[in-house]
Amino acid sequence: MFREWKEKEYIPPKQMLKLFIRGGFALSKVLLKNLGSLKEVRKEKVGYKPPERMYELPEYRPGMKFVKSDEKYLRPTLHCNPYSKEVIALANHLGAFEKEPYEYAKDAFEFTKRKIILQIVPLDSVEATLRRGYGTCLHKISLFIALCRVAGIKARYKLYALTMIQQWFDTFMADPLMQEWYDAMGYFMLHGEGEAYIDGKWIVADVGPTPERQAAAGIPITKFGEDSIGIWFQAIPGSIMRTESLPLGLTIASKLLMKKISPGSVAKMNNNVLKMYEKGRKILQEMGEEEYDKKARKGYKMPEIELEQKSIIFE
Amino acid sequence: MIKFEDYIKNLNKKLHKYIPNPMTPAEEALYKPLDLFNVPKKEAEEYKFRAIKYAFKHHYENNSFYKKFCKENSVTPDDIKSIDDFSKIPLIPDKFYKNYPSGKEFAMWLATVYTGELPNIVVKKNDSHDEIINKFNDAGLVISYSSGTSGIHTFIPRDQRTFNSAEYGIAKSLITMLYPFWEPDINGYLFMPNPFKTNVFAGKVCSVYFDVIKDVQVALDRELTADLIQAAMQNNLKGRIIRYAMQRENKKMINRIINWIRKNYKEGNKVGMVGAPFILYFVMEELERNGESFDFGERGAVGTGGGWKIYEDKRLPVKEFREKVEKLLGIPPENCLDLYGMVEGNGWMVHCPEGHYLHVPTTYYHAMVLDENGEQVSYGEKGRFAFLDGLATSYPSFIISGDEVRMLEHCPACERETPVLEPEVKRAKGDEMRGCAEEMRRVLSMDLGR
Repeated sequence: MFREWKEKEYIPPKQMLKLFIRGGFALSKVLLKNLGSLKEVRKEKVGYKPPERMYELPEYRPGMKFVKSDEKYLRPTLHCNPYSKEVIALANHLGAFEKEPYEYAKDAFEFTKRKIILQIVPLDSVEATLRRGYGTCLHKISLFIALCRVAGIKARYKLYALTMIQQWFDTFMADPLMQEWYDAMGYFMLHGEGEAYIDGKWIVADVGPTPERQAAAGIPITKFGEDSIGIWFQAIPGSIMRTESLPLGLTIASKLLMKKISPGSVAKMNNNVLKMYEKGRKILQEMGEEEYDKKARKGYKMPEIELEQKSIIFE
Repeated sequence: MIKFEDYIKNLNKKLHKYIPNPMTPAEEALYKPLDLFNVPKKEAEEYKFRAIKYAFKHHYENNSFYKKFCKENSVTPDDIKSIDDFSKIPLIPDKFYKNYPSGKEFAMWLATVYTGELPNIVVKKNDSHDEIINKFNDAGLVISYSSGTSGIHTFIPRDQRTFNSAEYGIAKSLITMLYPFWEPDINGYLFMPNPFKTNVFAGKVCSVYFDVIKDVQVALDRELTADLIQAAMQNNLKGRIIRYAMQRENKKMINRIINWIRKNYKEGNKVGMVGAPFILYFVMEELERNGESFDFGERGAVGTGGGWKIYEDKRLPVKEFREKVEKLLGIPPENCLDLYGMVEGNGWMVHCPEGHYLHVPTTYYHAMVLDENGEQVSYGEKGRFAFLDGLATSYPSFIISGDEVRMLEHCPACERETPVLEPEVKRAKGDEMRGCAEEMRRVLSMDLGR
């Protein structure tokens, strides 16, 4: 079993492990230092109503096509089961096996980005995400990856630690405890994107933020193949990891943090995200998405770079 | 009093090794004018057009990522027919140079960003950022980086020629504005990391200081690497040990500087203090605590630059800073000038002594102020500072910065020809320091601020 875990990259890579240890250490220190405030925060009753699902789940019918493979980047991994009925039904509904791989992956990207609302909840399966209609960026990436894998398109995670723009910082730093944790770490612990392998190239998919949240932050709406790093996020150098699976341990850690340690802080964050979503929805309604995006992109364009070796010799 | 022409000729004699032969149009625009801030508009524009057009064509033809970027923006060098067309030149957000991978891909990133061919450089798989930089620098390049107070360093690959221009430019700009103060026989203190022991640009570019005056002392004489800065920012045992060592060293540094001031005052020497304003601020705080002051008068000058970094909370408005310098060191405000520049560029904006407005060089450097849509705003309106720098031959230095400025067509206080920025420059909204800045504050502040 250990061998399988290792092969599927359930065991976190060294960089990720370092990130978790540092994050855990920083959080423990913040909590120990602020036991009094923690008690207050935990006592605090925060009203929170989860958002409603924005779509109907397509019906699963036996005999629907799907690709079953044990190949790396195609097989099921932690919380990412491409063979679940919900995923197969949605993939067929989105046109898997009918459209060109790029077109299908793009539609899977658009669905995941637009229809799944960002809310902070403990990590769980892609089918649970689909049934619920919301989840963290990691839930959304897993869903995108599952939708690709079920259609025979290899897909993987691109995870990193980041510093973020002020508007998003304001949303997530819901109370002084969160702020102190962030300050102690110096960056937000883990964020990511999906990557799909099409025509010999890994294509990035920034499914995390909905267009509404991006509009509320005044930033462009990310398209399929467009990386958010360097425009509105800065990845901490050296923290970018590309893996087949989410790592083990993250589920327990997320449950502990969100359910036990400070559920009030999480509820506040989720409320902030929903407020931001509503604000963005109004902006897009008033301006139109195309016009908004055109305006947001003025003055923000970042050159794309394809690495060259030139005369560097690697030993 | 020495004639200005002779003053600059003397400077050029001291800096002859920096002056290339033959020169590119941008180099001509830096080295040939006597007073960079007082070239008649028509002449300055002729210099500038040739300098920027040359640089744009050079990067378009020799830098694949920038050429692709230009193609996406449908611009070629043939489209640049006059200064009015400069607005067509695609600008690179400064964040671009903060967005680099690690390990061997970092070496490839430097190579890709670099314009033109590189010498052979051998890199090991597990080399750190500093090891890779040192290998590039051993091969004749001058890779330097920002102080990293935003949490991420900006890395810029200069070739020796571009770096020489940056050094000559900073010296000429400051010395011009301090006319007639400068002469080689001055004792100097550099409030920066030792230029020969760091790749931090703000420190490294000051190596020219050693060539313009006879004796220079350095405030931060330890080796300062990117890895050390990052390690010091960590909230772990290693970070704490580094911070503790720095804290002890910083106390000694302040005492060394004060002893140097005392000695030079007693001996009647002429002194020039150059570097980060917060170091001089802490020196002055200590003097104030000791009830000690000096009266250097015209025998002293102060040139500050690099901003307040992690000491943003201690930032004094430039006027108050000058008043403090006058009160405690007796150096008149006309001899206390601030300078604005950045690691991504080679242009230096310097206060004029008359009104302390930041004068923009106009022969090799095209400054712009942009609104949130990337459109140029009129003189007098606030916006984001952007520039086209003709001097950078090794990387495209056509940059939108994260700084908010207001540019005026004419200086309200003096007759110099160049436009000016208002005396204080701040970070634009959304570009404020975040994250590691708070940690860095803890790294170096400690007892200095108490």
